[in-house]
Amino acid sequence: MAKMASPMAKEQGPMKKKSNLAIRIWQYRYFYIMFLPVLVALILFYYLPMIGVRFSFYKYTPFAPPTFVGWDNFRRLWSTPTFWDAFRNTLQISIFKLFLNMFLSVSIALLINEIVNLKIKKAVQTIIYLPHFLSWVVVASIFMIILSPQGGFVNQVLLSLGIIKEPIYFLAEEKWWRPVYYFINQWKETGWGTIIYLATLTSISPELYEAASIDGAGRWKQTLYITIPSIMDTVIIVLILNLAKVLNLFESVFVLYNPLVYHVSDVLQTYVYRLALNANAPDYGFSTAVGLFKSVVSCILVLFSNWASKKVRGRGIL
Amino acid sequence: MKKNFLSKIASLLMVAVLITSLAACGGKKISTDDVQETKQEDTAKTEKDSKGVEEKVEIEKPDKIQVMMTTILTEENGQKELIDKYKELTGIELEIIKPDHNQFYEKVNLAFASGDIPDVIELGGSNYTTYAVNNALWDMTDAWENSDLKASGIVKEQYVDALKVDGKLFGFPMAKGNGTITYVRKDWIDKLNLKVPTNYDEFLDMLRAFTNDDPDGNGENDTYGITAAGLINGETPYDIYLREFYQDAKPDFYLKDGKFVDGMSEPAMKEALQRMQDAYAEGLIDKEIVTNKTSTCRDKFYADQVGVFNYWAGYWNVNLETSLQSANPEGEVMPIPPIAETTYIERPPTAMVITNNAKNPEGIFKYLIEYSHDGDEGQMLFTRGVEDVHYKVTDGKVERLPYMATPEKLFEKTFYAAELSITDFDDPIEFDERIINSLEIFEANSVIDPIPTTSEVIAANLPELNTLKSQVIAKAVVGEITVDEAIEQYESQGKVYIEAILGDLNK
Repeated sequence: MAKMASPMAKEQGPMKKKSNLAIRIWQYRYFYIMFLPVLVALILFYYLPMIGVRFSFYKYTPFAPPTFVGWDNFRRLWSTPTFWDAFRNTLQISIFKLFLNMFLSVSIALLINEIVNLKIKKAVQTIIYLPHFLSWVVVASIFMIILSPQGGFVNQVLLSLGIIKEPIYFLAEEKWWRPVYYFINQWKETGWGTIIYLATLTSISPELYEAASIDGAGRWKQTLYITIPSIMDTVIIVLILNLAKVLNLFESVFVLYNPLVYHVSDVLQTYVYRLALNANAPDYGFSTAVGLFKSVVSCILVLFSNWASKKVRGRGIL
Repeated sequence: MKKNFLSKIASLLMVAVLITSLAACGGKKISTDDVQETKQEDTAKTEKDSKGVEEKVEIEKPDKIQVMMTTILTEENGQKELIDKYKELTGIELEIIKPDHNQFYEKVNLAFASGDIPDVIELGGSNYTTYAVNNALWDMTDAWENSDLKASGIVKEQYVDALKVDGKLFGFPMAKGNGTITYVRKDWIDKLNLKVPTNYDEFLDMLRAFTNDDPDGNGENDTYGITAAGLINGETPYDIYLREFYQDAKPDFYLKDGKFVDGMSEPAMKEALQRMQDAYAEGLIDKEIVTNKTSTCRDKFYADQVGVFNYWAGYWNVNLETSLQSANPEGEVMPIPPIAETTYIERPPTAMVITNNAKNPEGIFKYLIEYSHDGDEGQMLFTRGVEDVHYKVTDGKVERLPYMATPEKLFEKTFYAAELSITDFDDPIEFDERIINSLEIFEANSVIDPIPTTSEVIAANLPELNTLKSQVIAKAVVGEITVDEAIEQYESQGKVYIEAILGDLNK
């Protein structure tokens, strides 16, 4: 590798006539060759399919060739009140869920990191990772039974403690749906979210803690001034990466929502799915327009958070 | 010159001999199989020539038919054996594309969008009319009218007529559409000394007894009257479940006095919503009806939690009772006739359609559609399957064999259920009495729902309206809003969509 990276004396003469870029490419040619398969895969599977984005400006059904309709699909989208409800819900649910998940994941990672007994530590980690491997359909079925207003565990406990007088239909009441949704989400995903923070925590030099301890810092001060600043880079990276996916919210909502709570639960993807499901002749142009809209919003969110990161911390990741 | 002339004559003769021999080869291919030749003659249909005189037109037998089906048997359960047997009986190669059931219509749409269109597809409900009005399907009206199958008189033609769009037939019924019937816990009725309800008041009394009189005898107040997976069906017919509550209401657009109306705005719908709201408030309807899935309803029925469940007639009678008895050996299921105020609804049949892409639609109609409804070997193949694979004959008695993939269950059907045949098919396999009974009750008390009307305007507006419909119905039934408020919300928030659809239907 050192040979590849070092300048080649033999080629110095003729290379002088070439531009610096060409020289560098020649110098690192083996790296470029190694990168070639990745580049081909990227083009084939990520960039070429993007050509399909043009269909957001077309009317495209199974029965006729695509016809150009300009901004019609977007106008149709933006003129529907339920679309804006879904858009608002998507942003609210996703962003709240993102920050809640981050807060809980970091907190639990810090707590797990404090466990001294290795066996207990691993057991706790395994237990909290497990729900991640359950499918959303199974999770929804479990919680529908637990939260049932007809003999469900939660209602039974609340009734027996005298906290409520009538059972609560948690998944069908607008004021309860989102708290329940956030709870179920965190139950399923928080454990998994701790992995990356636990990995970062292990990379913090013990010398820092030792020095802090000599200076008289207790556990709390050490956490505040060493641990948290050390994992902040990871937190920011995870935040920005997750923001890019923030509008991709479907399965977890789809298995838990119902007509009584559409107003607070319907998100962009469930909205499009319902439209497509009820439409016997799908308009691929319209679906693509929704997809493009989502991508643009996601892109703006990522750029904004990167900008905010640069302002606050002096650096971003892009 | 003379030499040239002779050469030309010789060349012409050679060409003539070549053409004749090629024609002979083609003819020989058909004539090698006597059975095929006989069938070829059978396929002749009549067509009027330019002078108006009817003449026989021979229908060419296709070499291969590509079908896209979701209800056809899986590879694990003997699809290859079905294909081989069909080839043996007809000489035609059958290529089956069987997408995952949940993604079937998505795959059909993609097939059309990409231009990779199969010859035959099964299409149900509004998918059938959508494809028909978009000129994607072959018009088989003439083929049916001139067919040997029609002439045979074995087909119950009301099922064929049910699939006509503006008088034209674009698909042939696979089988009867079937529908849902009300199943009641007979052991609970007997235990509580109730009688089978014949009108709405008696029905409510039965629900009250099931809810309040501890029919499972466990000493706890843990039962309720009726359950369902939602308050409105996700596709047409929207009111196929909860028939006792909907009665004459129809939450859909339908013809009334020669004009299309929105059933949601009719007085009958208000009355239906009020009935459901009252019963829900009284605790007679499952509190979780809005969040129920079909599987959870069945589980509740098997677990002695609910006494009434509206579900498919026919085989499901056996399935429900078998599953119930595996949990509670004393449990019995009884299908009941509809109460006086209503009838059951039969869905329009699912259609076998021939696409416009098919090279030889007449041949496909003859050799696949007619053949699979012939009341004889073709129908046996497409219902009961292949001998010694799906059924066996012992001393003249025909018995079902177990599924190849799941041997604990007996094989039911290759493509469509024999008990729902639209022909006078003399099925050699005896049906369970419960299947016959529930189907007889259903057929004597049901009406076939008209096929859904569709258009570009309807397709663009209906999804939003259906969402709104399901919202206001749910809110009214659970008592979040009054029935009047529900209808008012529906009419005001859905005004644009309702006007667009009605305008299109009544133009």
